[in-house]
Amino acid sequence: MKRCRPLLGTFVEIESDLGPAIDLAFAAVERVQALMSGHNPDSELSQINRCAHRHPVAVSPWTLEVIECSLDWSRASDGRFDIVRAGRMALVCGGLPRHDDQPLPAEADWTAVQVRDGAVTLARPACLDLGGIAKGFAVDRAIAALRTAGAAGGIVNAGGDLRCFGDCAWPISVVDPANRRPLVSIDLVDAALATSAGLWGHDLSLSFNHLPGRDVRWSSVTVRANSACDADALTKIVWAGASEASDLLRQHGAEAFAIRADGRVESIGGEAVAA
Amino acid sequence: MDRSSSWYALAPVALVCAAAPAHATQYLSIAQAQRLLFPAASGFVEHSLTFTPAQRKAIARASGAAPSKAQPLWEARGPSGRQGWLFVDRVLGKHELITYALALDPSGAVRGIEILDYRETYGGEIRNPRWRQQFVGKRYGAALQLDRDIKNISGATLSSRHVADGVRRLLATYALLVARR
Repeated sequence: MKRCRPLLGTFVEIESDLGPAIDLAFAAVERVQALMSGHNPDSELSQINRCAHRHPVAVSPWTLEVIECSLDWSRASDGRFDIVRAGRMALVCGGLPRHDDQPLPAEADWTAVQVRDGAVTLARPACLDLGGIAKGFAVDRAIAALRTAGAAGGIVNAGGDLRCFGDCAWPISVVDPANRRPLVSIDLVDAALATSAGLWGHDLSLSFNHLPGRDVRWSSVTVRANSACDADALTKIVWAGASEASDLLRQHGAEAFAIRADGRVESIGGEAVAA
Repeated sequence: MDRSSSWYALAPVALVCAAAPAHATQYLSIAQAQRLLFPAASGFVEHSLTFTPAQRKAIARASGAAPSKAQPLWEARGPSGRQGWLFVDRVLGKHELITYALALDPSGAVRGIEILDYRETYGGEIRNPRWRQQFVGKRYGAALQLDRDIKNISGATLSSRHVADGVRRLLATYALLVARR
């Protein structure tokens, strides 16, 4: 059975052999949205953005995990992946609203975030944006829910951030962000995939074009990794053209390719594949 | 191909050269959506709505969008009476035509949303009412050139904003025409 709900600002598709497991998987995605959406003024994320510069804000384990994961990626990518700078950009571009009592962000980066004893503090007013990793995390939690419920296999796809499990291969089409023409076919087995496209694709949550060093010939980057969270974060790091990108891909057992504006597909770190 | 590209392949030429790329997915029928959103209901009573010009204006003012000519609506009923309401609605994005079901509990709060079907085309047909007419009351897929090989997609920026706008319009419709029933 394949079902679809509007969640996380996009469409989340869940397919599995076990129907009742799909409800549990959607519930996991809805929980991530409730905790981490910047659009929801009552989310834990919005509470952090409102007060964590004044006092520690206690948050639930999932929110903690995503923030700690984000900080690990910031360390590993020498700041290319940065939920603080992403949040500032999102506010400026109108990708995220500034809620009542939420201060204007100061000049800051990921080092302003402190996590201790289950609570988050900000060294100065900042707006965190978890959009670069929360979708992947939600997909991973949904897959875990399917597994726990006893499903033999399934796929969860949150607007292109996806992961599958089980014995069979799932056919994936990676499309050109400009016109949605399918350019790459993948038979995915027990793995995750994420694709990030540039700002001109009108997806304001992917506002990381402020990052230096990106290859301007690329219109999107696709990463295959073991978890959707890894794939999600790595697309941003690869897109930024970080010199650590190839090493990070290798360390995490991940691979990537880019779709160029001219429609050609090139392996990241490998050779161009003729279109 | 070198080893690093062995995990993916360029899409078959037939797909890449499709004259006007399109795909469609049918997730649920109305009956399936009813059962999923109201698992304890014993039946659904149809109460489809039509609107006077004044009502259309009021809904547009409250939500930013006017309703279509007729609004499919069902009341979910169970052993102890009304369990809630189910709207079936259609929204038009730039290249997408989406049918979805919205379930409300008896107080009008949102209980759930399920997408029924999703159709997409880059050929411009979406904006043509005569092209859309082929889907009214028919099984999907009839007389439509579809890329059936496109299943799980990555790389398209998909926003559910149009569905959120539709839900806002339906909640205004509920408040104006259904809440007092």
